[in-house]
Amino acid sequence: MKFPIQILVTLAICLLLQLFFPWWTLAIGAFVVAFIFDSKSFTSFAAGFLAIGILWLSMASYITVVTDSILTSKLNQLLPVNSLLLTLLIGGLVGGMASLTGSLFRKI
Amino acid sequence: MSKIKEIICHHMKIIKVSISALITIVLIYFLNNNWNFGSTIPALGKLLDPFHGVWQNAETGKQVNETLELSGLTDEVIITYDSMMIPHIYARNNEDLYFAQGYVTARHRLWQMEFQTHAAAGRVSEIIGKAGLDYDRRQRRLGMVYGAAQALKSAEKNPEALAMVDSYTRGVNTYIESLDEDDLPLEYKLLNYKPELWTNLKFGLHLKSMAQTLNIGDKDLEMTNALKLFGKDMVDVLWPDNENVGDPIVDQAGNWRFKPITLDSVPLALPDELVNVVPLEKSAKGVGSNNWAVSGLKTQTGSPILCNDPHLKLSLPSIWYIVHLQSPDVNVMGASLPGVPSVISGFNDSIAWGVTNAQRDLVDWYRIQFKDQSTNEYLSDGQWKSSRKVIESIKIKGGDVFYDTVTYTHHGPVLYDKSFHGDREKNHYAFRWIAHDPSEEVLTFYKLNRARNHHDYMEALDHYASPAQNFVFAAVNGDIAIRIQGKFPVRRKDEGKYVLDGTKTFSEWQAFIPNDQNVMYKNPSRGFVSSANQYPVDNTYPYYITSTSYETYRNRRINKLLEEMTEITPRDMMEMQFDTYNLKAQESLPILLGLIDSTSLKGPQQEAFRILKQWNFDNEINSLGASYYAAWWNELFPLIWDEIKNGTVALDYPTDYTTIKLIKEKGDLTFFDIIETPQKETAREVVRIAFASGVEKIETWKSEKGKEPRWADYKDTFIGHLLQGLPALSYHVQHGGTGDAINASTRTNGPSWRMVVSLEKTKVKAWGVYPGGQSGNPGSPYYNNMLTMWTTGNYVPFQFESSPEKMKAVLTSLTLTPSK
Repeated sequence: MKFPIQILVTLAICLLLQLFFPWWTLAIGAFVVAFIFDSKSFTSFAAGFLAIGILWLSMASYITVVTDSILTSKLNQLLPVNSLLLTLLIGGLVGGMASLTGSLFRKI
Repeated sequence: MSKIKEIICHHMKIIKVSISALITIVLIYFLNNNWNFGSTIPALGKLLDPFHGVWQNAETGKQVNETLELSGLTDEVIITYDSMMIPHIYARNNEDLYFAQGYVTARHRLWQMEFQTHAAAGRVSEIIGKAGLDYDRRQRRLGMVYGAAQALKSAEKNPEALAMVDSYTRGVNTYIESLDEDDLPLEYKLLNYKPELWTNLKFGLHLKSMAQTLNIGDKDLEMTNALKLFGKDMVDVLWPDNENVGDPIVDQAGNWRFKPITLDSVPLALPDELVNVVPLEKSAKGVGSNNWAVSGLKTQTGSPILCNDPHLKLSLPSIWYIVHLQSPDVNVMGASLPGVPSVISGFNDSIAWGVTNAQRDLVDWYRIQFKDQSTNEYLSDGQWKSSRKVIESIKIKGGDVFYDTVTYTHHGPVLYDKSFHGDREKNHYAFRWIAHDPSEEVLTFYKLNRARNHHDYMEALDHYASPAQNFVFAAVNGDIAIRIQGKFPVRRKDEGKYVLDGTKTFSEWQAFIPNDQNVMYKNPSRGFVSSANQYPVDNTYPYYITSTSYETYRNRRINKLLEEMTEITPRDMMEMQFDTYNLKAQESLPILLGLIDSTSLKGPQQEAFRILKQWNFDNEINSLGASYYAAWWNELFPLIWDEIKNGTVALDYPTDYTTIKLIKEKGDLTFFDIIETPQKETAREVVRIAFASGVEKIETWKSEKGKEPRWADYKDTFIGHLLQGLPALSYHVQHGGTGDAINASTRTNGPSWRMVVSLEKTKVKAWGVYPGGQSGNPGSPYYNNMLTMWTTGNYVPFQFESSPEKMKAVLTSLTLTPSK
C-alpha cells in the first residue's frame, strides 16, 4: 500500500510546487517525499518516476485534447520523438532521480 | 572489524547519495539550458514542463471576454475581435488608441516584433550565437541603427508623431511587463530567452528594415566591373536605363510645367576599375508589388475601387497585422506592420491608399582615399577630413562580446575594409544611402490615416522620404491619383550607376528633386492609375532616372486588363489580383520554340515540345506547360550569362526582358557563346542545349516525386517560419502564379497582402487577406487560418463599423480600463 501512496503524495506535492514555482522545484518535492517515506532505493525511483511522469503526461494530454492537438502535432514534428512520450520520460527521469536521492539520503 | 565495515558501509552510502544527487543536479542543469552540439538542443525540461513550458502555448478556438485594468491609460478602450481575430479598437483619444494598438499587437506578435527589430539592428548573435556574427556586422556597418535613430529624432520634433510613438511603446511595454514565464511566446521558450523592453527606436528599425528590403538592391559595384570588362557600349545594350516597354506609371508627355533644378554640368568621369568585394544581397525576384485605382466611370457602382498587393518574402508570423483603429480623430483600417503605430496600406471612411516600391537608385558608393592605414583622415576637395569611428559591440550568446570599429565619412559608413570582406587595404568605398537621412515617414502614415481628400493625401506624402514608394489613392468623392514619393537626388546622366569619386564634392548629391516636381498625376483620362514597379514616367520628365531594374511584364498585363474592363465590381478586382497569366511566356515561348528543330525530337523532349506548344501561358496550379517553361528558362538564363555567373568579380545579370530581346534580335551576340565549349554557339544552340537540360530536369523531378509536374507542385510555394523556416511551423501550399504574373507568387515570395476597397458614398467596403493569420502563435487556430483563403483567391470581407455594438460575428471582446 505504501508504494501507491508514495506516488500519490509525490504527485500532489509536486503539482502544488509546479503551479507556483519553476519546473525544477519538483525535484525538491520528490526528494523530501522520498526521504519521509524511506522506501527501498529502487522503489523510490519508481515512485518518483511514475508520479512525475503521470503528472506531466496527464497535463500535456489534457492540453492536447482540449486544443485538438493543435500544437502537439507541430511539436511531434519539431522533436525527434513523440512529444507526449518525451514529456513523460523527462518529467519521470527528473522525478525518479530526485526520489532516489531522497531515499539514499535517508539511509545514511 | 565490524566497526571498519560499518565505516566503509557508511562511506559507500555517502558516495551513493552523492552520485545520485550529482546526477540529478546535472540532469536538471542540462534540461534547464539550451545546448549546441552541432544542432541546437532546447532546454527540454523547461520547454516540456506542461505547467509553464511550450504546452501552455496551445490555444483553443474558444475565447472569453476580458476586462483588464492597465496603468498608462486615460480612458476606457473597447477592443472587439471579429471572427478572423482582427482587433477593432475603439478609443476615446489618440493616446489611448495607439497604446491599445501597441498592446494588442504585442499580444499576438511580440516575438516577431522583437526578432525583426533585433535582426535589423544586427543583434541576431544575442539569440543564436556566433552563427549570426557576420550578418550582425553587416547590419551594423550598413548603419541601420544610425538610420533608425535619425527617424526617431525627426519624429521627436513633431508633438503628434511623438505622442503616437510614445503611446505605442507604452502599450507594448505594458504587455511585456504583464508576462509570466508560461505566457511567453513559443519561440522564446524554444530558444530559451526573454523579451526586453520595447523602445521608441524600434519603430525606426522596422521602417529601416523595410527600406533595406526594398531599396538596398543596388548594383553600382557590379556595373563598375561590367564597364571595365565589357565597355560602355555593351553596358548600354545589356543594362539600358529604360527598356522602353509598356506604359510608365505616369504618362503626361509635355505636361511637366515646372522649372527643374539643374546642376553645373561637370562631365562625370566614369570609373575604370574592378571592385573585388561581395556586394550586398539583392532583393529576391518576386519582391515588388501591384497597386491600381479605377475611377467611378469604369465601375458598376460609379464609385472608385482601389487595390494593392505588396509582394514580399512570405513568412510566418506574417509581415502584416490587420487592425481597425478608431478615436474621435480617426477611423482607419488596413494592414499595419507589427512594431509601427498606424496603418500602412488601408482605408478610412473617405479615402484609401496603397503602396508599391518605386525602385529608384538611392544607394551610391564613393571611393575613399584615406591618408594612411589608420583610416583616420580622407581626402575631400584637396583637404584631409577626419573620419568618425563608431565602435559597435555585438553580444554573442555563449561567447564574448565582439567589438567592431566602423569608419564613417561624411558620405556614410565604409562597409568593407581589411577586417570585413574587404579586398585590398587601399580600396575603400563609403556607402551613401537615403535611409540614413532624417525623415518623417511615421508622420506621413499618421496623416494618411486621417486624410479626407486628395489635398490631405498630398500633404501627408510631403513628409515621406524613404523607401520611395508609388502611392496610389482613391477617394469617396471620386478622385483617383498616384504619386511617386521619396527623397530623390538630382542626378546627371549616368550618375549613380557606377562607383563615384569620393574625393570630389561635385560628385556628391547636391540637391533633391522638390516634392512638387515628383512624378504624379490625378484623374487621368484613361480612368485608372496603376503601378507595378515599372519605369516611372514618360521621357519628357526633366530629371535623369536610374534604378537596379524596372518591371516589364506585370504592369502591361494590368494596364491591358484595366483598359478593357468596364462595369468593374470588387469581385473582378479580386480575380485580377489572382490572375496568373504569364506575359513573359507569351512573348518568349514562341521565339524559343521557333529555334527548336521539332522534327528531330524524340521521347520526353517530343512530349515537352507538344505540351509547350499547346500551353495557354497561364501559370495556374494544374498547368504542366508552366513547369516545362520554367525549367527551360531556368537552364537557359544562366547558360546565356555564363560569363557573368562565372566571372571572377561580381557582376549583375541583365533583365529577362533584355535577354529575350537579345535572343530575338541579336542571336550572334558574343554572350551566347558558351565559354566552356570549344565551338562557337549562337542563341539557337544555347536555346537547344537549355531545352534538353530543362526537359532532363523535369524528368528527374518526375521520377523523384513519382508524379506529373503540375505547376503548384513543381513551384512548391513555401511559407516559412521566421526561424529559418522550421518545418514544423511552416507550410507548403498549392498556389499558382509566377514573378511576372499579376499574382506574382514565386516559391518563397509573393503577394504578402491583398486588399480591394470600394469607395462607395453610402459606405466604404473593403476586403483583404494575407497568407497567415493574426496570431503569431503556432499553437493558435489563428496562426494560419487565412492561408487557405489566400491560396484559393478568397478574401475576408472587413467589418468597418463606427461602434462595437454594430459589429457582427464577434469572437471576443477585450476592455481595457485605466487602473485607479
